[in-house]
Amino acid sequence: MRLTITAVVPAARERVFAALVDPAILQRCIPGCESLVETAPDTYQAALRVGVAGLKGSYTGTATIRDRRPPDGLTIALDGKGAPGFVRGTAAIALTSEEHATRVACDADVQVGGLIAAVGSRLVDAAAKKLADDFFKQLSAVLSAT
Amino acid sequence: MYPANFDYKRPATVDEAIALLAQHGDAAKVLAGGHSLIPAMKLRLAQPTVVVDIGRIEALSYVREARGAIAIGAMTTHREIETSAVLRDRSPLLAETAAHIGDLQVRNKGTIGGSLAHADPAADYPAAILALDAEIELAGPRGRRTVKASAFFVDLLQTSLEANEIIVEVRVPLTAKSVAYEKTEQKASGFALAGAAVVVGQEAVRVGITGVAAKAYRASEVERLLAGQRTPTPQAIALAASHAADGVDPLSDIHASAAFRAHLAEVNTRRAIERALARA
Repeated sequence: MRLTITAVVPAARERVFAALVDPAILQRCIPGCESLVETAPDTYQAALRVGVAGLKGSYTGTATIRDRRPPDGLTIALDGKGAPGFVRGTAAIALTSEEHATRVACDADVQVGGLIAAVGSRLVDAAAKKLADDFFKQLSAVLSAT
Repeated sequence: MYPANFDYKRPATVDEAIALLAQHGDAAKVLAGGHSLIPAMKLRLAQPTVVVDIGRIEALSYVREARGAIAIGAMTTHREIETSAVLRDRSPLLAETAAHIGDLQVRNKGTIGGSLAHADPAADYPAAILALDAEIELAGPRGRRTVKASAFFVDLLQTSLEANEIIVEVRVPLTAKSVAYEKTEQKASGFALAGAAVVVGQEAVRVGITGVAAKAYRASEVERLLAGQRTPTPQAIALAASHAADGVDPLSDIHASAAFRAHLAEVNTRRAIERALARA
């Protein structure tokens, strides 16, 4: 599944980049994130209870930052699994400056497998997009507030 | 494919159901016909610890004409709506739409209240409910309230229903025969890749579209372009229909790209308008 998302966050590129690699901020912004711990440099272990409305699943996984290019962007590799299935993939994030804001373009290539892919796939794309939108809304709110 | 353990409650009345929801809060989930919740529970995408089965509350199953509208109990099945003589005669869009849902087994169990509360982005009813400008009555611990269809659908699988509320009734206005629902379905599931419901009235045309975006929506630009035209030309209809996906961000998945969904919205909107007008 290829997921392309762009969002405009009202902060300078340096701040947006710093937020995207700050576990404390990420934990506040990732929908359903129950814990996020840096286990090694640029490697994070996360536990999420994620979903849309009443449909939620629990996942644990690892995110590794590759190709850190402050403040232009970064690539994140994801590997997670939970009862409903597994998620694996990479997300390339590019930051470009706009007036008083930063445009975040996220191009993710994600494989979803297991039960959720076999039976529940009809809503996976729509749900993923909504969760990404929620993340950027929350990130904008956090960066505007500080 | 076994669900996690849960307690099963079968209230006999709406008041009992609301009391159970108030008692159990987020841990509870309402079961109606079960065609969305049960598969989600088997996949463990939903793991309620209490299931409140309102599907057998007899008082919520009816179709009757009252005060210039048709009132439909929330637990009325798709099949009962499809075959309702009063709906077929007095407000046929909902009956026509119900006939498009799933297969006969699904229609025999699934309910209008369950479908609307779940708010699947590709369900059929939301298009018709929007085009009819229906009213949805909700019951909760603080009494009852009525929500217009246009305010009911909030986002993907999200409605203005609170966690401790249930839908008790759907009211649709009486209409002429000039209505239609046209749909392109995803073959395996029967869900709409794009569905357009149209009500052609004396003054205005109302168009509801499902399957295209994260929630069903009114195609307001199509409506605006056709407003006041009693007998629009085929060109005017085609032009209006080309705005069927204006202002929305179409879904994209393995079954249909965003551009294809927008195209299907246009084609089904045009066909539905033409067919509704032909019945006028």
